[in-house]
Amino acid sequence: MSYAYLFKYIIIGDTGVGKSCLLLQFTDKRFQPVHDLTIGVEFGARMITIDNKPIKLQIWDTAGQESFRSITRSYYRGAAGALLVYDITRRETFNHLASWLEDARQHANANMTIMLIGNKCDLAHRRAVSTEEGEQFAKEHGLIFMECSAKTAQNVEEAFIKTAATIYKKIQDGVFDVSNESYGIKVGYGGIQGNATGRDASTSQSGACCG
Amino acid sequence: MDFVSGYKGVVGRVFGNDNATSNEDSYVERLLDRINNGTKAEDRRMALVELQSVVAENHSAQLAFGAMGLPVLLSVLKDERDDVEMVRGALETLVSSLTPLNHAKMAKIEVEPSKMNADLLSREVDNISLLLSLLAEDDFYVRYYTLQVLTALLTNSLSRLQESILAIPRGITRLMDMLMDREVIRNEALLLLTYLTREAEEIQKIVVFEGAFEKIFTIMKEEGGSDGGVVVQDCLQLLNNILRNNTSNQTLLRETLGFDPVVSLLKLRGVSYSFTQQKTINLVSTLETVNLLIASGPQAESGKDTNCMTNKTVLVQRKVLDHLLMLGVESQWAPVTVRCAALHCIGDLIARHPKNVDELASKVLGEEPQVELALNSILRIILRTSSLQEFVNADYVFKNFCENNPDGQRLLASTLTPQPQSMAHAPLEDDVNMSFGSMLLHGLTMSESDGDLEICARAASVLSHMLKDNAQCKEKAIKVELGATMQSMGTPEPLMHRMVKYLAVSFSMESKDGKSSGKADLYIQEMILKLLIIWLVDCPTAVECFLDARPHLTYLLELLSNQSATVCTRGLAAVLLGECVLYNKCIESGKDVYGIVDAISQKSGLTSYFLKFDEMQRNFLFSSKKLSGQHKPLTRSNGASMADIEDEEDDVSMSENRNDNEEHPILVSLFDSGFVALVGSLEANIRERFVDVYSNPKAKVAVVPAELERRSGETDGDYIKRLKSFVEKQCSEIQDLLSRNASLAEDMAKTGTRSEQKTSGPSERVQVETYRREVRAASQRLEMLKNENAKLENDVSMYQNLASKMESELKSLSDAYCSLEQANSQLDKEAKSLRSGGVTSYPDIEAIKEEVREEAQKESEAELNDLLVCLGQEQSKVERLTARLLELGEDVDKLLEGVGDDTGLPGDDDDDDDEDEEED
Repeated sequence: MSYAYLFKYIIIGDTGVGKSCLLLQFTDKRFQPVHDLTIGVEFGARMITIDNKPIKLQIWDTAGQESFRSITRSYYRGAAGALLVYDITRRETFNHLASWLEDARQHANANMTIMLIGNKCDLAHRRAVSTEEGEQFAKEHGLIFMECSAKTAQNVEEAFIKTAATIYKKIQDGVFDVSNESYGIKVGYGGIQGNATGRDASTSQSGACCG
Repeated sequence: MDFVSGYKGVVGRVFGNDNATSNEDSYVERLLDRINNGTKAEDRRMALVELQSVVAENHSAQLAFGAMGLPVLLSVLKDERDDVEMVRGALETLVSSLTPLNHAKMAKIEVEPSKMNADLLSREVDNISLLLSLLAEDDFYVRYYTLQVLTALLTNSLSRLQESILAIPRGITRLMDMLMDREVIRNEALLLLTYLTREAEEIQKIVVFEGAFEKIFTIMKEEGGSDGGVVVQDCLQLLNNILRNNTSNQTLLRETLGFDPVVSLLKLRGVSYSFTQQKTINLVSTLETVNLLIASGPQAESGKDTNCMTNKTVLVQRKVLDHLLMLGVESQWAPVTVRCAALHCIGDLIARHPKNVDELASKVLGEEPQVELALNSILRIILRTSSLQEFVNADYVFKNFCENNPDGQRLLASTLTPQPQSMAHAPLEDDVNMSFGSMLLHGLTMSESDGDLEICARAASVLSHMLKDNAQCKEKAIKVELGATMQSMGTPEPLMHRMVKYLAVSFSMESKDGKSSGKADLYIQEMILKLLIIWLVDCPTAVECFLDARPHLTYLLELLSNQSATVCTRGLAAVLLGECVLYNKCIESGKDVYGIVDAISQKSGLTSYFLKFDEMQRNFLFSSKKLSGQHKPLTRSNGASMADIEDEEDDVSMSENRNDNEEHPILVSLFDSGFVALVGSLEANIRERFVDVYSNPKAKVAVVPAELERRSGETDGDYIKRLKSFVEKQCSEIQDLLSRNASLAEDMAKTGTRSEQKTSGPSERVQVETYRREVRAASQRLEMLKNENAKLENDVSMYQNLASKMESELKSLSDAYCSLEQANSQLDKEAKSLRSGGVTSYPDIEAIKEEVREEAQKESEAELNDLLVCLGQEQSKVERLTARLLELGEDVDKLLEGVGDDTGLPGDDDDDDDEDEEED
């Protein structure tokens, strides 16, 4: 369970754009065509590796419905990364991006990394938002952009990992004060020195608490 | 403000006419006015201090404060942040206004002012948001009091405050930050969060998002783990609140921190025989945590179930079993509550989880030379413990171990071999080297000598788990033969026969000792019957073994109609009999299906036989199964958990506390839903089988038309003989059928005659019973009324006597009055006559007269003197006038001549008068 860093993510966006399916694909590597409406917030976790360092991702998948907004806002501030998702086959979900972004800017910490995701790219025949539009929006607002499909798993790994890589780079650049956990980043045992030593450190640590 | 006016209405209603209140009102009002409008800072502070103390002590002041004070203090909190002292004072006053006063007077007043104040304060989200913002202040007391205000509000209006805090951005974050504050604040915050997270899934998740798990475990570690104090207990309460029924949070804990921190709390450090009460509570709370992680809820959602299965896997991987075995089995010093909870956790961990079952089976306890299988140790607990609760929980382990685990059952059953004769009566302490099966057999039989069958019943329960749904094990157990004991001299007897014997013995013991021969008897018979029922299910060999001894059947039939047996026992006996029919493959006459059915219908009658099923099904053990099946609700508050511990430790009181149906409470837990379902399905099958038996009698003589034909080469005589024997056989069969028919008819007839009370059976009887009870109650009431009536009559006569006495007294009084009046009038008359009769009668009247005369004399004398004086003066006047007249040449004598004659009065006076007239 040892990790170099722990990042907290949130997934936001309109209801029905496939947030929960993205999470399920990422954590369990499976797709569930019929998914219950998310109530409030659901949790998922997975370990990834960046720059040979184990990084734990804690992901909170939020309900897209308006009635849950006040609850889901509680999660913005403590998150290091956000996946802002829209559905490429439903134009209105793209149109609402601005309001989601405004919400995020208002409630999240300024350094939160936001990844814009156009989901359901497997449904190319029903596309209502072009890739270029997505790119354009991301560029205008300083977001990372990617189109992916929770159904085919295309780009799903990449989306989560690329976000993590961006956060990791920010840490390396000294943007964050990593000792302050309110940024959604936590330093694990010894991970910074590299993998092998990290494991040693963690074992000695656990040995200490047993004795 | 708007709400103030609304509030005043309430105040008016509650305290309308209380004069003291209005004093307090005006006092509080004056203080508030000083705070609000005062100009000198010192004076305002003083007023605030005064207000705080009066609100803290006085009930009506508290009420008055709520009506008028809140806006004032809120504005202090809002606009005077710089004045730390004022803010502190305002918060402290708020705390006081929300603290219930334990006053004797309180009982009379319906509305508690502290509650009303809390209601008022929590009504506005802005107020809560204001309070939360105060948590960012530097001053320690400001944060401390703020937390207290919030906790008070939470205890009064939980859901409203939960909603408000959820709606306030970063509200929960602020509260979570308090966990990292200095100790006093941190402890307050723990309590507050425990309230806040109660039954509020979204808050639980946010709290966890804010790192609650890390913080809680850090605090517990700092406080010394399970050896720590009440703070650890608070931490565990909070931990349990955020894990309870919250799959998302359970996943998060499992995926990030892991269960190690929980498991390590169960680890006993150092001297493991000292268990303070606090440590007991901490351990029980931790075991509750484990329980929350592994207990699938009543409504087993698929997602939730996989989650709890994963939790079980991970927990066992993290070596939780070792710690649980240490707490529940090995540690003799652990309080029985802890042991029971640990055993129950073990049971839950292995339930429907084959891997964990295997893990438990392979566990070995003890130090190297004296190692023993954990299962053996748990069996020993069952056989030896004095606590029924502990027995139930250990039994739960075996139940879950054997369920859907034929290999495990076989493993246990394979060791079912009796000990050599020398060991048969060895005390239990010598069982360390025994195999599981031997120990079990030992337990089954050892109590025979000392006449206490409780251990036997417990062992029977374990054996029933081992045999359940496992044909192989049943066969194995049937073959077990016990050596001859002192009582049953002669050949070895099968285990099953011994069990039936104990069943009979337990009844004879009960009837011998009277009713209360001990707490155990109440479940011994049921346990043994349960074992036999499970044993015979789907197992013709077992049925045959059971019927091998003719008295068994007779005994069961007697038990069926034994009125001293409980409803449950009779019902179970009926089920067992039914099994003898249902799974009967015997061909021997008397032991075959027809023999049994005939015996039942002759001895008991089919109607009353089936009635036993109905009665049992109506019993609470079967009907209210769903309610009792669940584990009892988990405690939250400290007080409740304390009470809980006391409850469980007090086994004796529990066993004495029988319910209305006079069933043993243990039965509730031992008759699990599986067994109840089994009995239900058996009953249906048995009914069906009976109908079958009667509608399709199996012919002993096969009628093959070809056989009736004369065979070729057969002589007439042979043919006739053959036919004759055939007819004889048929004749006897017809006889059989006739007799069965007769018994059925008889049963029918009996039913018919009793139909009025019996056809619809027990329900009517129940009604009759209630009627009877009502009649009894009514007659009692009548009796009471009669008594009352007699008493009233008594009273009446007494009062009558009293009245007549009074009357006579009154009469004599009035007589007396009359006579008095007469006397009075007489006196009156006398007085009148006396008055009219004059003074004569008075003797001193002369004296008075004398007196008056004297007085008059004196008066006249004085007058005379005066006259004399006057006369003298007149005389001298006359003389002087005479002299003057003489001078003037008048003849005085001549002048005076007429005077004397005119007046007729003597002398000198007349002269004077004349002279005066002359002068004029």
